[in-house]
Amino acid sequence: MFSSSAHRESWEQRRLDLHKLKTANHFSLFIVFGFFLFLLSNRVDELRVYQGASVAVFVIAISSIILLTGYSGQVSLGHGALMAIGAYGAAVARNELHIPIILALVVAVLLASVGGALLGAAAARLSGPYLAGTTLALAVGLPSLANQFAILGGEQGLVFDVGSPPTKLGADFTQYKWFFWIAALAALISMWLLSNILRSRYGRNWRAGRSNEVAAQLSGINTGRSKILAFTLSAGIAGLAGALLSMTIGTVSPSAFPLTLSFSLLTGAVLSGVSTLSGVMIGAVTLVAIPEIADVVANRIGSSENITTNLPGLMVSTLLILAVLFVPNGPVEQHRARTAKKAAKKKS
Amino acid sequence: MFTFINTTLIGITSGSIYALMAIAMVLVWRSTRVINFAQANMALLSTYFGYEAMIHANSFWIALPVAMVGGALFAAIIELVFMRLLVKRSTTGPIASVAPIIATLGLLGVIRAVVASIWGGADAHIQGPVSNTGYSIGKQTLVFSPLKLLILVTVVVLVLFLTLLFQKTNIGLALRASAYSPEIARLSGIKVDFVRTLGWSLAGAAGAVAGMFQTVNGSGTFSPDSIEFALLLVSGFIAAVIGGLESLVGAIIGGLLLGLVISFVLMYISGSLFFIAPFVILLIVLFIRPQGIMGAKAARLA
Amino acid sequence: MKAMNRRKLFSVSAVLAAASLVATAIPANAAEVGVTASEIKLGMTLPMTGTASLGYNKIPGAAKAYFDYLNANGGVNGRKITLIVKDDQYVPTQAVTKTNELILKDKVMALLAPLGTANVKAVASSVNPAKRGVPVLFVNTGFSGFADVKKYPTTYSILPSYIMEAKIMGKYIAENLSGKKVGLLYQDDDFGSDALAGFKAAGTNFTVKVPYASGSQSAATAAGWITKFKAAEVDVVILFGVTSASLYMLATAAALKYSPQWMIDSVGGDSTTLKLAGVPAGVLYNAIGFSPVPATTDLTDEYVKLFSDIYAKAVPGSAFDLNVLLGMNSAFMTAQALKAAGQNPTRKSLMAVLNTKGSTLFNSALSPVGYTGTSHVGLTGEWVGKYSPTGDLLPIGGIYTTYTTDSGAGAVVKSTYKRPAMPAKGLTN
Repeated sequence: MFSSSAHRESWEQRRLDLHKLKTANHFSLFIVFGFFLFLLSNRVDELRVYQGASVAVFVIAISSIILLTGYSGQVSLGHGALMAIGAYGAAVARNELHIPIILALVVAVLLASVGGALLGAAAARLSGPYLAGTTLALAVGLPSLANQFAILGGEQGLVFDVGSPPTKLGADFTQYKWFFWIAALAALISMWLLSNILRSRYGRNWRAGRSNEVAAQLSGINTGRSKILAFTLSAGIAGLAGALLSMTIGTVSPSAFPLTLSFSLLTGAVLSGVSTLSGVMIGAVTLVAIPEIADVVANRIGSSENITTNLPGLMVSTLLILAVLFVPNGPVEQHRARTAKKAAKKKS
Repeated sequence: MFTFINTTLIGITSGSIYALMAIAMVLVWRSTRVINFAQANMALLSTYFGYEAMIHANSFWIALPVAMVGGALFAAIIELVFMRLLVKRSTTGPIASVAPIIATLGLLGVIRAVVASIWGGADAHIQGPVSNTGYSIGKQTLVFSPLKLLILVTVVVLVLFLTLLFQKTNIGLALRASAYSPEIARLSGIKVDFVRTLGWSLAGAAGAVAGMFQTVNGSGTFSPDSIEFALLLVSGFIAAVIGGLESLVGAIIGGLLLGLVISFVLMYISGSLFFIAPFVILLIVLFIRPQGIMGAKAARLA
Repeated sequence: MKAMNRRKLFSVSAVLAAASLVATAIPANAAEVGVTASEIKLGMTLPMTGTASLGYNKIPGAAKAYFDYLNANGGVNGRKITLIVKDDQYVPTQAVTKTNELILKDKVMALLAPLGTANVKAVASSVNPAKRGVPVLFVNTGFSGFADVKKYPTTYSILPSYIMEAKIMGKYIAENLSGKKVGLLYQDDDFGSDALAGFKAAGTNFTVKVPYASGSQSAATAAGWITKFKAAEVDVVILFGVTSASLYMLATAAALKYSPQWMIDSVGGDSTTLKLAGVPAGVLYNAIGFSPVPATTDLTDEYVKLFSDIYAKAVPGSAFDLNVLLGMNSAFMTAQALKAAGQNPTRKSLMAVLNTKGSTLFNSALSPVGYTGTSHVGLTGEWVGKYSPTGDLLPIGGIYTTYTTDSGAGAVVKSTYKRPAMPAKGLTN
């Protein structure tokens, strides 16, 4: 079959062409989606634009969990802390060095990556719950460090100002629309890069290491290095999300990175499908939309103040449980599994 | 001198309460291989059961068993209804490691919301059974009182009881077998499902004790948003991990170690390091022994 | 197949774009945002759940109790005041999100009593009420920076700043406890650093300063604090923290038989809250306390009497404490300002009232509010009291003697302010 070299060449060539087509298709898909978002942002009211920026931030943050947990199989309960590193890095760099926003975001990614590399190296020998415990302790402890160093601004926080939108975009180009453009662009670029990385050799190594570490090692994969790489990359992405989160609230403070943020990221990843990058919008939109919907419902059906205060929390937690019980691999996988089953049934 | 003694005593008392919580988490882990993040709020619910008993019976020694039984029953129901369904739905793929965490986090929120709806407005107060006034040595008062002695004794008794249960009885053997190898255990006739529920019930009871003692050791008042119960969740888990999730003795060691180190750091370095200290302790312990102090070593690889 | 998906995407986005174009055709609204012929809408964000909510989650009930009382008695120029409350769990991201909902979706006229320095700052940076012209009334924090009109032109402080309170404490110590060794318990964030700045301005020297991390208050950490104070052999211990800090400190002190001269700050010193939470009255007895408003147990004060009656009817079974009094007080001041803003109040006219006539607003506090066009400093003074054998804070000598100062280098002086009589029935007559 592969005896003649000419044959081999054309086979290789066909593989390359197919690969280029796939990448190009993905790229154009992202361009189209970006254009759609641009159209939308011009026509939707300001609250939705702000929420859109929040969704973009969550898309980036959740994708970091999908990488780390879905592909590399490591559970982190502390990605809030990694977001905090990115946020503080960006804010301090911008405030002290007066660098443009894009450089501040790069600083955020680099600093958080370093943190992730250190954490990954420390955590390389830890399994499941031990890793979870360590990252939990990090999530609880790291933000409190902001009170120890004056440059980090303490409890009231540092200002993180990305600047007003450029004047050539018009006088009524609101601040929130500017946030949305920056966050959405960052999300599109990072999603495109990430989806390519996940489909590359590195993504396959992570999946191999996750399914069966011994087998992966036997087939020549350095699982230790692979896991640390996953942590580093995941942390860098989380750092970007953290800096963008601070952009949307204009400040960086320890209370913006509570333990519940780390839990929310994990929740969003599960809702998206923990190893399904294409589902990441579902998780992000749910995280942003559900609290508001829960508030509205609670106010409508709540009879006493006690009920209206506690009902939103109840609804969100119940939704979580239902999602894990009935759609554990995420709606995208669920749909794929169902269509595959149907197709199989039709054949038989 | 007395500063040193008192710092040690403070560490031992807070450590023993962390140990109680860690015991609960270890019990759940050993019987069902799940980290139960809802444990602290289950303890909260049990404490409210105890509070109701206090109102009607006005005796701590009635309230405590009520809390324990209530906690055990509630935990059993959760295991029967909730965890079985969860395990059935998500045992394969990457979701397997994360699903129980998310599910128990959801449970944490549900329990909090329900507890707050029922008891939210009440000023819940539980009076301790014995005095919490410190013993005096001359003019100095120690941070040790009949109540703190009671807490220590209870922790020791509980661990002795549980260790005996695990090591010397058939049920204990069944518990250990079901955790390591449920299929084989089932094949040898062990009612694995009953054993898992038992594990959760014991954990529920231990959590109830932690909640009750935490409350009376403090100001006696608690609410759904008490700082104490929030701390209990994180500290209990970290203590369990330090000790190694496989061992009850490890849970005590982990709890005491955490309590003592935090106490000494706060006293001799700075009170501001309260939240970063557990992370450093954990990192150091797991660096030396990645499976915790008393944890079993992982199987040798190829 | 892929080409068809792409075409689908294009058509979907085109349809959506067209639909949104139609949806954004909003009819012009002549009246002010949040004001209709029958209603004025106000918004509040604060922690209602979570560990930071203890005590503060009573404020919405308190404010609503006053507004309901007012609405039942004619409202403000015939309009009812409606308060929309959203839980931000003390997280700045949520404070921003909920405030956006209040301003952009619920379209409130003004924001009332948002809580927490970090949260108010985040809202100021992101939502930018200053740019939108939305008044932010009576922020619930002692951070002195919000009084700066240049930075926060539409924000109004109300509580005396932590710096002011520390200076007043320092003055009291200098005059009555000189020569004694003093220890300080403080929160290790800006709450505490403001206190330290105030004590520095007052020239107070501490034998020992014990910081605690916010969120770490418990019986165990309190035992550690007490051990430190005992080792330093101080005579006076100042508690400059939140309620849970004083709570654990005092409860544990009783157990450890430790009884120095206590001095408690206003935030952490409400006797009703402390006693209900288990602090024995005997421990509070003879402690020194401070407050900008009359004691919540002093039913001889006309404001306290009226407000506690209103509250007892609106929220039966709930204790009347400092948070309730301050909440109702802010609601009372808001109603007066809205009334003075005229028959058709606007955001601008509301703020004009505060800037020009703010100091004439009736309120239960024993120092006037200092609002002008160039300063949004709220209350500037506190009175000194001692806790009675039953644990209630009462003014020393039976008469409220208020001391006032500023957040800067100004001296602490006795106030000559005479609080004017409450308008009839506590309404906006």
